[in-house]
Amino acid sequence: MKQEKAASATATSSPLSPGFNERAYLHAHPDVAAAIVRGDVESGKDHFLKYGSQEGRDSLNPALDPLDQLVIASTARELNSRPSLAHFLETIIVSRSGGVFVVGWVDDSESPLERIRLTAADWRLSMDGRSLARVRRADVEDALGKPISHSFGYFGFLFADRSLQRVGEVKAEIITKSGETAECQCQVRMVEDLELRDIALQYLAEAHHFGNQQIKGIACIDRAIGQQLINLNTHITANITATPYVEWFGTDIKKPKGSIIVCLYGKAEYLFLQNALHSQAKGIEDYEFIYVSNSPELAERLLNDARASSLLYGINQAVVVLPGNAGFGAANNAAARASRSGRVIIMNPDVFPRERDWAAKHSALLASQPAVQTKLFGIPLYYDDGSLMHGGMYFELDKGLSIEGFTMHQSHLVRVEHYGKGAPGKGSEFARPRAVPAVTGAFISAERDWYEELGGFTEDYIFGHYEDGDLCLKSMERGVAPWLQDLHLWHLEGKGSTRRPVHEGGSLVNRWMFSTRWGATVMDGLLGPNPTHKLLKAG
Amino acid sequence: MRSTTESRPLKVLLLSLFHPELVRGGAQQVCYELFQGLKEIEGIEPTLLSAVDPSFKALYKAGARITGFDGRPGEFVFLGRDYDYWWHRSGSHLLVESYIEFLETLQPDVVHFHHFLLYGIDFVTLTRKTLPNARIVFTLHEFLTICAADGQMVRRSDKSLCSRPSSIRCHQCFPERGPEEFFTRELWMKRHLSEVDMFTTPTRFMLAHFEQWGLPPEKLVYVTNGQPDYSRGENHVKEREKRNRFGFFGQMVDNKGVWVILQAVALLRAEGFTDFVVELNGENLQYASPERRTEIEKFLEEEKELPSHERIVQLNGGYQVDQLAYRMARVDWCIVASVWWEAFALVISEAWMFKRPVICSNIGAMAERVVHEQNGLNFAVADPRSLADTIKRACTEEGLWDKIVAQITPPPPREDMVNGFLELYRGAAKSAETKEVPAHAH
Repeated sequence: MKQEKAASATATSSPLSPGFNERAYLHAHPDVAAAIVRGDVESGKDHFLKYGSQEGRDSLNPALDPLDQLVIASTARELNSRPSLAHFLETIIVSRSGGVFVVGWVDDSESPLERIRLTAADWRLSMDGRSLARVRRADVEDALGKPISHSFGYFGFLFADRSLQRVGEVKAEIITKSGETAECQCQVRMVEDLELRDIALQYLAEAHHFGNQQIKGIACIDRAIGQQLINLNTHITANITATPYVEWFGTDIKKPKGSIIVCLYGKAEYLFLQNALHSQAKGIEDYEFIYVSNSPELAERLLNDARASSLLYGINQAVVVLPGNAGFGAANNAAARASRSGRVIIMNPDVFPRERDWAAKHSALLASQPAVQTKLFGIPLYYDDGSLMHGGMYFELDKGLSIEGFTMHQSHLVRVEHYGKGAPGKGSEFARPRAVPAVTGAFISAERDWYEELGGFTEDYIFGHYEDGDLCLKSMERGVAPWLQDLHLWHLEGKGSTRRPVHEGGSLVNRWMFSTRWGATVMDGLLGPNPTHKLLKAG
Repeated sequence: MRSTTESRPLKVLLLSLFHPELVRGGAQQVCYELFQGLKEIEGIEPTLLSAVDPSFKALYKAGARITGFDGRPGEFVFLGRDYDYWWHRSGSHLLVESYIEFLETLQPDVVHFHHFLLYGIDFVTLTRKTLPNARIVFTLHEFLTICAADGQMVRRSDKSLCSRPSSIRCHQCFPERGPEEFFTRELWMKRHLSEVDMFTTPTRFMLAHFEQWGLPPEKLVYVTNGQPDYSRGENHVKEREKRNRFGFFGQMVDNKGVWVILQAVALLRAEGFTDFVVELNGENLQYASPERRTEIEKFLEEEKELPSHERIVQLNGGYQVDQLAYRMARVDWCIVASVWWEAFALVISEAWMFKRPVICSNIGAMAERVVHEQNGLNFAVADPRSLADTIKRACTEEGLWDKIVAQITPPPPREDMVNGFLELYRGAAKSAETKEVPAHAH
């Protein structure tokens, strides 16, 4: 690019000739776009003819490729046709139910972005610049030659809950506070709602920020995007759980003492493993299992395995197949609706008996303990090495400080901690029966009426995380503290499903939502391992 | 369980991995010998169910999951499919249903798992659920229930012997799988093995391994493997001035240690000691690891290039039982160089049938059966130098061959094995600690 300044004097602006796509070329080579902004070259074609072809740049039209010369393909970038405001609106993706996701960058280091206005044939949308998530774009910093701590990148998300059928080009206007405006035409990609959610979450998970990644990652969705993602997810979840396929296996129990609900995702083997290992538990014949699958691709295998396992182990069970990933909360709620007993036992797929009589003990416990202590309870869980994995949960507050340039951002995020994690297993004080602020969703036994009164798991959380704490806090809010009772199971924590970057994006949203909803409650007597809340004094 | 004194015979169902006439292998050979032996016992009605995999597609009749075998009375084939080699379970509920129907039709008093591969370890539980009163006997032919590395208990990282499985150690053999998976695998295996009435192993050292792993000692019993005497009393031993001919009999896969033998030969040749021959009787080199296969093929190619009088190693290829006499007649010693424990090492029995002394690795079943300086010689496992020294000594030490041959006892006959199992079938077995080992076992 060093020759560009001198060359620009002789370059002439010419209409785009057939075969050269100016827009695509600038899209692919953001440094050229930046050079135009600086006035170094007149246009992308001008650059390609004078330098690009010699440098082996991809014209994005094979007919223009130089012969016998390697062409370096580039990732897509683009600049608007008006070089006054350096920006590029890289992606606009919409979903059928009105989700809109935009990604791009803009040099608004001197005057902040005020809005992005999108105008399609049959809809318009103005996105508030302050609601956009701003992210670090090292590639843009390089291309613009501006190594400053400014987040040039942005992404925005909005869920309109309106059916969008037509796709095509939209006119995009990028407007700064000072009134600078750039326009461009953008091709819109149409995807399903679920795909758009995952694209947005993955982008959120992989975005780079100046300062603390997690704090800034959460802060950037605080204004609007977090709630919009939740709205889309709720819409998706409602559709997925609307018409589950339910098939029962085994012989009917007249009145099961409990319904063990297991949510499966990505791994089918836990159905037969749990069947095999729990089938030896004394008293298990009084319980039914309900496997609810968030992985539709596993449906055939799960149904086959359930059929075989019922023959092998005599477990009474149902398989609830959902046509997509509804997330942990909604899937468990769907399974709870299919259950036939007065008690729901939420169990992770990688929870196995440590005591051969745990089911009988569970039944005895319900009969012998005060009702308030069994309305909702968890139990100590153990890692495979015998150490304690879970002895109840408590809440901590992370006070995060992130510094970007001369701006400091402080945030308060609620963190969930397990009592005694990793402590020696035998006779641990942490495993003592008592009232606790919360228990893990890996095992929750709840009176069905109470579970339903609480509204079950809150379905807003994306995929999974924090629903257990949320459920327990709802219970506390209504006057019943969760208990830790004297039963003991293995839990191979985190090994019951497969995690992908999109799940990390979901976790960021969930933590933001959990902190927003429960931050004040937690600070009011529920903070730390020794909370002062009145309901916990009984323990 | 019924006794043989009742009018109805005692029905014994034997579950075998493969049929020995379809796939050669020690476990299926022993199972078939047991089946043949039981047929000769009055009051016993044995049935053999041999599993095959879909590679035998000609046997897979449309819609069938269990069929007869070659028109032979009492012999059936289990047409396995969709087998899960990690969890060792059948992936098809149709197979489960067919097996239940087979059991309900046959109503065996005893179900003897000579293997679980291609059925699934969960078929033990299925058997118990279908026939709550049947006696379930389970013969352990290797360590597959303990060890995911083909049941060999040889560490995949450095090929060293493993005597102590654990979640972390097993994870080190399979880094792509977390320690928790091995914890779960152990729970899974033990859950099904808990339905077994009696376990048998053909050697004592295996009892210790399984007891250490957690199987109840009172259920662990030693029952020897047994075979008919293939020599028919003709051992083909001739007077010779030198006893310098060595033979290998078996599969040419890594764990059988052919590479140890060839490296020992190379060491001796380099020292100038060449007055001996080694005959390799084996096949399935294609199942060796690429590295060992290349090493062995290269050695044999180079051997072929030598003038005939300089050649030491000769490859004779695979053999059937009826060829044993001829092959054994060509050697003075048998080398068993396995680099895994071996559960029994049938080849030792075959050598002894023909009065051939055995030179073997000093571990596991080999060391248990072949006592150093008494009925054979041991060398340090996986150590070509140690084997080279032993070969040289066997060739040169005057009177050694005669001294050892004089101490070889006949291998356990089939009757010992049949009687050992009959005792278990009748529910009269004593615990491993009190049971007498048949005299022929060593």
